Amino acid sequence: MWKMFKDRRKAGALASPYFAWALIFILVPLMMILWYGFTDDAGVFTMANILSIAQPEHAKSLLLALELSVISTVICFLLAYPLGMILAKNRMSSQGIITTIFILPMWMNFLLRTFSWMTLLENHGVINGVLEFLHLPQIRVINTPGAIVIGMVYNFLPFMIMPIYNSLAKIDENVINAARDLGANPVQTFLRVTLPLTVPGIISGVTMVFIPALTTFAISTMLGGSKILLIGNVIEQEFTLTYDWHLGSGLSIVLMIFIVVNMVVSLISEKKDEQ
Amino acid sequence: MNSKTRPAEKIYMAVIFLFMYAPIVTLIVLSFNKSKSRAKWGGFTFQWYLNLVRDSEVLNAMANTLIIALIATVVSTLIGTAASVALTGMKRRTRSLIMGVTNIPMINADIVTGISLMLLFKVLHFDAGFVTVLIAHITFDIPYVMLSVLPRMKTISPSVYEAALDLGARPFFAFRKTILPDLAPSILSGALMAFTMSIDDFIITYFTKGSGFDTLSTKIYSEVKRGIRPEIYALSAIIFVAVLILLLLSDRMKAQTGKLASRARSAGNQKIKKIGAVIAVAAASIAIILMALTFGGVFSKKSTQVFVYNAGEYIDPDVIELFREETGIEVVYDEFESNEIMYAKVAADGAAYDVLCPSDYMIAKLIDNDMLMKLDWSELPNAQEYIGRQYYNSASAFDPANEYAVPYCWGTVGILYNKELVSAPVTSWDVLWDPQYKGEILMQDSIRDAFMVALARRGFSINSVNPDEISLATQDLIEQAPLVQAYVIDQVRDKMIGGEAAMGVIYSGEAIYTQRENENLDYVIPDEGSNVWIDAWVIPREARNAENALKWIDFLCRPEIALMNFEYITYSTPNTAAQEMIEDELIRNSKIAFPDEETLSRCDTYISLGEEGDRLYNEAWKKVKSAN
Repeated sequence: MWKMFKDRRKAGALASPYFAWALIFILVPLMMILWYGFTDDAGVFTMANILSIAQPEHAKSLLLALELSVISTVICFLLAYPLGMILAKNRMSSQGIITTIFILPMWMNFLLRTFSWMTLLENHGVINGVLEFLHLPQIRVINTPGAIVIGMVYNFLPFMIMPIYNSLAKIDENVINAARDLGANPVQTFLRVTLPLTVPGIISGVTMVFIPALTTFAISTMLGGSKILLIGNVIEQEFTLTYDWHLGSGLSIVLMIFIVVNMVVSLISEKKDEQ
Repeated sequence: MNSKTRPAEKIYMAVIFLFMYAPIVTLIVLSFNKSKSRAKWGGFTFQWYLNLVRDSEVLNAMANTLIIALIATVVSTLIGTAASVALTGMKRRTRSLIMGVTNIPMINADIVTGISLMLLFKVLHFDAGFVTVLIAHITFDIPYVMLSVLPRMKTISPSVYEAALDLGARPFFAFRKTILPDLAPSILSGALMAFTMSIDDFIITYFTKGSGFDTLSTKIYSEVKRGIRPEIYALSAIIFVAVLILLLLSDRMKAQTGKLASRARSAGNQKIKKIGAVIAVAAASIAIILMALTFGGVFSKKSTQVFVYNAGEYIDPDVIELFREETGIEVVYDEFESNEIMYAKVAADGAAYDVLCPSDYMIAKLIDNDMLMKLDWSELPNAQEYIGRQYYNSASAFDPANEYAVPYCWGTVGILYNKELVSAPVTSWDVLWDPQYKGEILMQDSIRDAFMVALARRGFSINSVNPDEISLATQDLIEQAPLVQAYVIDQVRDKMIGGEAAMGVIYSGEAIYTQRENENLDYVIPDEGSNVWIDAWVIPREARNAENALKWIDFLCRPEIALMNFEYITYSTPNTAAQEMIEDELIRNSKIAFPDEETLSRCDTYISLGEEGDRLYNEAWKKVKSAN
């Protein structure tokens, strides 16, 4: 890394709007969550809000959210990796096309797209209409965890495809050729060269899918028929329905633990990468 | 490597493509659907596109979305780019610390980011609205810009820049001439990403927006629960096609300039063009913002306004328009999904709305907590003359001296069932526990109504606060949960029309509408009794425009307006003059709309449960909902 500024103070001045912004709107708000999470109505320190995660309703919603988001992340990975390889192999690297295909749906509102899945998945919905026409068995998936997983995979798949594609496209073809020349078969090449080289991309993809999937409340409300409570729904209800900000903040802190774990993992891998 | 795409690969790509675009195609098809219900294809129409032009609510939300996204993109691009450039001049440790902070909004869950900002604004007594949403968007946009610009910055060779400095150029001039051109593409792609994320954001906006302010996302979310207005499909289809065309055009342009550049090798020229493009985009955004500010008046809070907070899909939009035309008062119209959500909002900010339309038990709670204003009846001649005495009498159950509330709609809660799917006559709530209808039952996603069903079924008072009774009801609801297809509010309507379920708990007002759309549906009030409810207009004590609120209430009490409203929302009106004016005899004498005395004698109104009772119900409801 080169230095553009001989004078460090000038660099500081240039970055100061960002520092101020990050302090006021990132760090201070996080402190607020901590403050609310660790106090009760009277402003007295308490661990009760955090420990309430052990209550059966809360624990259940957290475990279910974990389960569904892990499944969604794995599915996203399994779908995205081959796709990334196809795209990279064909050097569809005119980044334009990739962005066009995968960013374009985001311009149709996220909620509308999810809502549309309801019309598709319902028992008398579009998909079952097609299946009926083809004399195939019907699917009964709406208002089940399965529908939520579909919603998660659909909404977050682009976030998995993009980093994986980017890291695949970056691989020097000579490295692959060298491995082949040295006698590695395609499977070995893939497992020992390609896959390790794309680990940073995979990690960033996993993060970008896992975290929003873990914490969503809109997808589960719409596709789960409000029958399936995820931790995101519980937190949302604490803020908008029962109006217990302390409990809501406490549960948010529990969520942040997972996020911190994720951050640490990606930092470690980044360090390895730089070495 | 083999560069030909194999058929299997093509098929794979096609499948993913289908998966990505199936919902979008569905939405576009729905935008041409004549039927308002998404569950039914009613023929082809352009109507929703035409309606869009005068649908100020949707257009306003769209304008807000765009303005927020544009300003947030410009500001975050400036701050983020400056920071990225500066970071290269810092110590390694400082840099990674700062990048850690930058990553927080990216990695942190949206719900946590949204809530943390909401808490900040609340503590600072910052009025939630346009500015708070804008700040939130800038906050989560900056990381996208930095993550795009920073890596590029690392790879730029400093030699040209240093040479320029050696030749006596001022640093900024040298930067503009040597580094910025190389940086421009990554700045642009960062800005595009920021813009897209901002347009698509829902969760953070949801928590940081105030009353009367909606972006497209939050507008849609409030409509999801009761069936989306088809105009929104039309708008989204337009946006989608517009963006598609823009992207294709820019792709083609890039390809062409690329060719030209490689032919002429006049890279410098191209860079200038790119910078030109950036400036043009910025200038265009500022122009659009200024225009929007002039026409939209985003910041202006005029005195001739009234902030209305009503339940979802609970008024004929033309009525709002008529009121606006006649009085010149601008109506800022917001909708809530449930009484509880309404209460949470008003408790947080008593001055957010000027007039509310809650249900009976919630009005009692508002009165108990001294949150309402006594009405000046001399300003409400229509309300005195046309609303039937018997409804004021019923209202005295929650408003003892008739000081606070003017009845708006009333009705019962019952079971709507599909005669083709349910053969035996429905007379009891028990049918909702009948295993033969597993997966065919829709329950209300509202605490009071769900417990009312369970309590009434066991013969308990529907206002019970007896812990033993509540616990039995909770057990029953948990037992019922596996049979329930979904807990919904106004979606019972679409789902019953589309034949998705055999039966559902629904308000009488919805029954009339659904029967119109699907003649196999019938509505009963079970023998064990049920709830009779009244929704009424009230004015919060801290309302800023109480005078206008009174005008609003009295306007709605005019017989011809009440009639117009009734015909649109199909909820029974307490306006006796309007009742007599109903032309359709079947509806005027309908047992569903206007049940007889005998039926009503089996029904009770809800009363407020008190704080302890609320807590009891909330806890129990959480148990029911997590039973699956």
